Amino acid sequence: MKENSIIVENLIKTFKAPKNFKNKSNLIYALNNISFSLEKGQILGIIGKNGSGKTTLLRTISGIYNATSGNITVNGKLAPVLQIGIGFRNEISCVENIIMYGLLLGLQKNEIKNKINSILEFADLKDFARMKLKYFSSGMRTRLAFATAMQIKSEIFLVDEILAVGDMDFKQKSFDEFMRLKKEGKTIIHTTHNLSAVERFSDKVLFLDKGKQIDIGEPKEIVTKYKKYILGE
Amino acid sequence: MRYKESFLSFLWIGLEPLFMFIILYVVFSNIREPREENFAIYLISGIIFYHLFTKGTMTGLTSIKNNQGILKSLAINKNIFPIIAVTTTALLLTVEVGIFFGIMPFVSFIPSWTLIMMPLVIILLLGLILGLSYLLSILYVKIPDIQPIWTILMYALLFVSPIFWSIDQANDILLTIQQINPLGQIIELSHKIVFNEIPDIEEWLKTALMVSAILVIGYIFFKKFEKTIVEEL
Repeated sequence: MKENSIIVENLIKTFKAPKNFKNKSNLIYALNNISFSLEKGQILGIIGKNGSGKTTLLRTISGIYNATSGNITVNGKLAPVLQIGIGFRNEISCVENIIMYGLLLGLQKNEIKNKINSILEFADLKDFARMKLKYFSSGMRTRLAFATAMQIKSEIFLVDEILAVGDMDFKQKSFDEFMRLKKEGKTIIHTTHNLSAVERFSDKVLFLDKGKQIDIGEPKEIVTKYKKYILGE
Repeated sequence: MRYKESFLSFLWIGLEPLFMFIILYVVFSNIREPREENFAIYLISGIIFYHLFTKGTMTGLTSIKNNQGILKSLAINKNIFPIIAVTTTALLLTVEVGIFFGIMPFVSFIPSWTLIMMPLVIILLLGLILGLSYLLSILYVKIPDIQPIWTILMYALLFVSPIFWSIDQANDILLTIQQINPLGQIIELSHKIVFNEIPDIEEWLKTALMVSAILVIGYIFFKKFEKTIVEEL
């Protein structure tokens, strides 16, 4: 049996309810008793409607949010939560953003400079290297974020809806990159609304609804359950 | 990055205090008693400290909110953001010191040996900016009205600090405010040093105590809320 990469046990994350959302406890249960484990080299897909707790789960695993209760055991270096264009600056160029983002991710300046060409090539942004980010489309930003974050030497990657935008070619390249990482024994947790992709590229699927864990298991089985539960199919 | 969008770019670092000096010099050298021929030096030293204070605290105030993209993606030590505000001030300082010495030949001012004490005053200013940045960065996330309130307070500080008036010209109200105004104390220390006077030990201690108190309060406040502040962004 392979070594566990992540173990989540009875995880609860609550937020203080905003003024116009009063309930008895004044708390919103963003995650309510989530438990799962993931072996090294596995890909976990998380599905659920908007507001089901997918992003909160990624942020709590990464330590951005503190868990209200429960345990999270992480075995390996975590990459930052990869989201569309998050952390980028509009007023500076694509290359300057790569350097800034890389520095924040813990890369050395020389290391980043050596990787700039391969990042631009992967993201298909070579012609836009000196362009300010404010002129970039969401697809271009996504490609840039994905290509930069993939340079980080981490064991666990957390990917939040990043593949919702971008053309087919880039999506295929990104999935190929996932597969390469998987072969190297890296663990990936990704959230998505793309059910065919989650079925195709995940080893396990976690289905969340209103912060609750509805089920976890084989991709095909969970996606079918999700369709029945949410879409009434 | 602040000046990246403007045509004159980083030249504004020096131009801002220089224009402020020219305006105040033209106005006050005409309406006030011809106090001394060193009014220009008196004014520019006060303006430099005031300008660094406003830029530093404003950068500190927005440091958490403006970096929410990074904070929602990375479990990063939040302490670095107020520290960046101080580092930015230190960088501005190098340019503004150049302006200070650049004006001297035009007004035939010969610098005094007491200027060697200026680094101590600068340390007090940076400590004050850091303490306030700790406090304001958290407050701004919780209460957005803090930004306009702070802008008004800084505007008031321009008039209640000894920048274009001197202590011997001040009335009781201004003197009382000066007693509890750490920026005013720092500016007064700088004036004495610039004009060949060694400030009393009591003056140093009083200012250092005020700055230390703000630094400690700011740090404790920051530490209390830093773990949960990202959830409020």
